[in-house]
Amino acid sequence: MMNFIKYGVLLLLLFSGIQSLKGQNADELLQTMDALIAAPKDKEASVKMIMTNKSGKQKIREAKMLQKGMYKRLYRYTKPEDKIGMATLSLPDGKMWLYMPSYEKPIKITLFSKSQAFTGTDFSHEDMSGIPYNERYTPTLVTSDIENTFLLELSPKIKRVKYSKILVYIDKANKYPIKMKYYNKSNKFEKVATYIFGQKNNYWYAQEVFMTNIKSEHSTRIILTDVKFDQDLNDDEFTVEKLME
Amino acid sequence: MKVQKIAEKIVTLKWVTMVIVIVLTLFLGNQLKYLSVNADILQSLPDDDVHAKLLKRIAENFGGNNMGVVILETDNVYQTKVLEQVRSITDSLVELEGIASVSSLTNIIQIKGDDYGIEVGTLVDEYELPEDTEDLEHLKKNVMSNEMYKGTIVSEDGTSTLIIFTLENDVDVALVAAKVIEVTKEIQTTEKLYYTGSPMLVSAISNLMRRDLTILLPIAFLLIAFVLYLSFRSVVGVVLPLITAAIAIVWSLGIMSLLGYKMSMISNNIPIILLAIGSSYAIHVINRINRQKLSGAKRDISVSLSLVLVPIVLAAITTGVGFISFIFGAYLEMIVEFGILGTGIACFLSIFFVPAIIEIFGSGKNNKKLRERKKSLILDTFLGQVTTLLFKYPGKIVITWVIVLCLSLLGIFSIERKVDIQEYFKKDNPTRRAEGIMVDKFGGTKPVFVLFKGNVKSPEFLQKMIQTAEYMEKSPDIYTSMSVAKLVTEINLAISGKREIPNEIEKIEQLWFLIDGNETLERLVNEDLTEGIIISKFKSPDNNSKKRFASYMNTFIKANSTATCEIEITGMPFVDITMDRSLIRSQIGSIVIALIFMVLIVGVFLRSWWQGVLASVPIIASIIILFGIMGLTGISLNIATVLVASVALGIGIDYSIHIISQFKQDMQTTGELKWAIENAINISGKAIIINVISVTIGFLVLLFSEMVPLQYFGLLIGISMLSSGLGALTLLPAIIIVLNKRKIN
Repeated sequence: MMNFIKYGVLLLLLFSGIQSLKGQNADELLQTMDALIAAPKDKEASVKMIMTNKSGKQKIREAKMLQKGMYKRLYRYTKPEDKIGMATLSLPDGKMWLYMPSYEKPIKITLFSKSQAFTGTDFSHEDMSGIPYNERYTPTLVTSDIENTFLLELSPKIKRVKYSKILVYIDKANKYPIKMKYYNKSNKFEKVATYIFGQKNNYWYAQEVFMTNIKSEHSTRIILTDVKFDQDLNDDEFTVEKLME
Repeated sequence: MKVQKIAEKIVTLKWVTMVIVIVLTLFLGNQLKYLSVNADILQSLPDDDVHAKLLKRIAENFGGNNMGVVILETDNVYQTKVLEQVRSITDSLVELEGIASVSSLTNIIQIKGDDYGIEVGTLVDEYELPEDTEDLEHLKKNVMSNEMYKGTIVSEDGTSTLIIFTLENDVDVALVAAKVIEVTKEIQTTEKLYYTGSPMLVSAISNLMRRDLTILLPIAFLLIAFVLYLSFRSVVGVVLPLITAAIAIVWSLGIMSLLGYKMSMISNNIPIILLAIGSSYAIHVINRINRQKLSGAKRDISVSLSLVLVPIVLAAITTGVGFISFIFGAYLEMIVEFGILGTGIACFLSIFFVPAIIEIFGSGKNNKKLRERKKSLILDTFLGQVTTLLFKYPGKIVITWVIVLCLSLLGIFSIERKVDIQEYFKKDNPTRRAEGIMVDKFGGTKPVFVLFKGNVKSPEFLQKMIQTAEYMEKSPDIYTSMSVAKLVTEINLAISGKREIPNEIEKIEQLWFLIDGNETLERLVNEDLTEGIIISKFKSPDNNSKKRFASYMNTFIKANSTATCEIEITGMPFVDITMDRSLIRSQIGSIVIALIFMVLIVGVFLRSWWQGVLASVPIIASIIILFGIMGLTGISLNIATVLVASVALGIGIDYSIHIISQFKQDMQTTGELKWAIENAINISGKAIIINVISVTIGFLVLLFSEMVPLQYFGLLIGISMLSSGLGALTLLPAIIIVLNKRKIN
């Protein structure tokens, strides 16, 4: 009888240990992924956005992107012709400035709803926010159905998030995401994003992200080229005055 | 004797007929399960109507402008619990398959400017609904100060709010409508919900029609069976007319399904019409066979058949002509095609199937019994009295008819035409209540679209849109409108403080950055940005208001449409006008053309133009009475009641044909006018009376229908049957007697 209790206690300890280890692993994994995405001090790249609708019709936008840390980002549009000179500046706390040359003044845009689409794309403002996932979601490690990946199931930590669940497939070897499945408030599969990661100057970065909306069959492909890291970008690059240049 | 030979051949083919009928019924009956109901009113509109065509094109090009509405009615919309319910409904609808977009108080976009820039967001914070009085008051103030919300999303009195959804193209409208009701009911709101807008409305109609057809049609069958039993006192006499009608219905609907047609709001009437036509032909054949048996003749079936063959084929052709004449009413194409098909099938079954069954199974009575019963039959006594009266007072009978017709003519001038869908529902029906709320508080439900072709982003184009909208909104029936131009104006106001379209194209192109990809935009402009629309709603159900509005708008469009900015207008008020015109044209045109054809056909068959004209007299009389009653009682002419005249025309002329052809046969054999008239009334009169009573009783069941037009349809068919039967039995012989008084004396 004593032996039975001893083994029982041992098993219980082992089991709870595995559970906490699993929880810890999931947290660590998500933090590692967030850290990997946020690793460069700053980033400079040419961005191409290809929006494709259900019938296959495409719209293409191109911009120069500057990013410092996770929260300061500037897009200066170079294509199409009618968007040349337009620029957006995203600053911490969801502040966003838009410069339209024809109005000759910067306009501050307060985004009340981050769940809305980022102008014409399939990414919501929340998707583009750059806020680390571990600040918004609690991860659980589940069995992955894709080889050589970990699968994290993210559930919201805070009220103001668009998704009820995100499934993140993380590459086992390098810990970057290769696929994310987004579920809406009613737990229905809404969007899927696939990532192609590349490495430059010891940094892993998403060379290409392909987001598809399941219901509307609309998709957006974002391709990054001429990527440069750690160019010591000055904070002055991310000011409203600079936006107008 | 050719006819006699054909009749004999038909009877010898009895087993072939049986096999064909059974096989085809099984095969086509099996097709019925694939027959779907197309509740989409847009699909049932004809392509040769320019307004209907443009309406369909707009629905295809502008992201599902087939709009449905859930109305939430409460004492005060500005309460957290109400907003929670609106949010739940909105969220559930967003996820439904087949729904392209949902717009409501809890997700509608808000762009507003202040000293620091612009705020882009939703009118209500989707994560934190306003809870305290101050926030709710603020929301109310926001709604009331913006015409994009006031009277569009929330009623001015704050008692109703709308959850508006648009359907994707090529979806099963009825299925989506049913799902909308299902998911919104699951939410168990404390407030009242109503459903309206074209998908919900048409779906409600088809549900009610289906209910009516499944409950009332069997009752009508039973009542007709009862009358037939009283008349023929035999199983065959009851079953055969009904089975003929049932098979005609199964075949017609089966062929419809096989050819890929769908049941529409209009073709829903086909089974009821075929019940009337299908049973009528069989009654005449059975009656003739019974009569022949009474006389104890041998080879009775082929002889009987030879005697009714010509009148039945003739009756079928004239009924077909009654349908063909509806070609003038483009909206009734399906009825034309399947009316003719069904009539042909009913004719075939009466000639081939009915004699085959009687030949194989017998008529269920022996001749002796029949002869014994002959004298006691009420019908025969009644017909005897009719004949006596006819010969005694032929002039007075004609005068009585003339007086009735004069009174009816007075009524014809006050016939109302109504094409409004609201008229389909009884006053206490929730769908009618929903329509009422929409008209009283949200400026109606009838969509109006103004289409602009040109460069959507050019200032001239957008300014023209604004001018048109301003002009349109001056009409008393237009409450508000929505367009991309208004959206651009609102954003320009937020940025520059000026509620106007910027004069520079660059500004517009850059403003577009803020609205690009927005769901609302898909409903307002096409993908290539070469077309844009103004969406609005028309309030009045009145036809004259619609015509006034059409002429008001057409004047503006004529003066303002240019090569660089072409303007066209369409919408339900315009379709209604065409439908209304089509009703009138189809009625006048169909009656005139059908009568000319009928006189010609009957004249050719009976080899006498005079008899052709005579045959048409009772039917003209019955149609005058029909329209007279409609005018005097205020029953309006609509897409359901417009069919009554066709059925009355088709079946009514049959009665005269039977009387005249019998009269002609007797005249040829005996040359005695008086005897020929008496015999025609006695022989054909019985079938006519049985037919009139059975069909009338069957159709009066429709008085208990949930659908107002079906109630009237039943009543009017009953009236038409009675008047055309009575016309054939009294007016027609009375005219013959009056014209041949000398010969008879």
